[in-house]
Amino acid sequence: MSEIAHQDHIEKKAFLVNSSSLKDVRVFCREVFEKLHIQEDLKEELVLAIAEAAQNIVKHAFKNSASPTELMVVQISCENNKLQIAFYDRGTPVDPKKVKHREIDNVKPGGLGTFFIQEIMDAVEFKDGKKPWINHLVLTKQL
Amino acid sequence: MSYKVTEEGNISTVHLDGEIDMDVTEKAKEVIFPVIDSGKEVHLNLSQVQYMDSSGISVLIESHQRALEKNTKVIIKDVSKSVLKVIMMAKLEQILNLE
Repeated sequence: MSEIAHQDHIEKKAFLVNSSSLKDVRVFCREVFEKLHIQEDLKEELVLAIAEAAQNIVKHAFKNSASPTELMVVQISCENNKLQIAFYDRGTPVDPKKVKHREIDNVKPGGLGTFFIQEIMDAVEFKDGKKPWINHLVLTKQL
Repeated sequence: MSYKVTEEGNISTVHLDGEIDMDVTEKAKEVIFPVIDSGKEVHLNLSQVQYMDSSGISVLIESHQRALEKNTKVIIKDVSKSVLKVIMMAKLEQILNLE
């Protein structure tokens, strides 16, 4: 837990649902974390977790075939040193029970994104998406 | 992501530069796999890679496994601190050949 008091802040941005947007998601996150004065090591871990969650939207919720105008929204908020990152998308509804990472000792390509998210964040929660959204994922981390 | 391939004796070195994510993994495989398939020892220089996600890690695993199938090896060289952290998070530091 950080001893720095991070200023309360909220910011959100929409991105096209495709793999080219992942770099833009990272740029957005880094900019917000700069404003929050989050230390470098933690910042890059958080960027990884967020980019993995965005990648899961592209890859799994839309199966790499979203329409060219389809959007996902990433919202980063910090209140009382609690960081919350929310994702909204209109892809296939996610069944939280089916979201599992591979066994870490069973070395093979794939299945690590969810593991990274769980390793880095304190909590991962799928909430009911309110219209027009289908999926609403919330990641939290106490700073 | 940009890249450069250099040859010295029986060693081919692939230098990757940039951020390795899902968007560039196919390109990374197109560069690395033919070098592995040539049967030479492959050095993968990651000194200029400051960010790698799970897709990039999958490329490292696939490269390692492909090299074993071809009776050669991939050695990952000069890993940046940030990428090493991701490799360690995936508990692969004992599996992949890191130098």
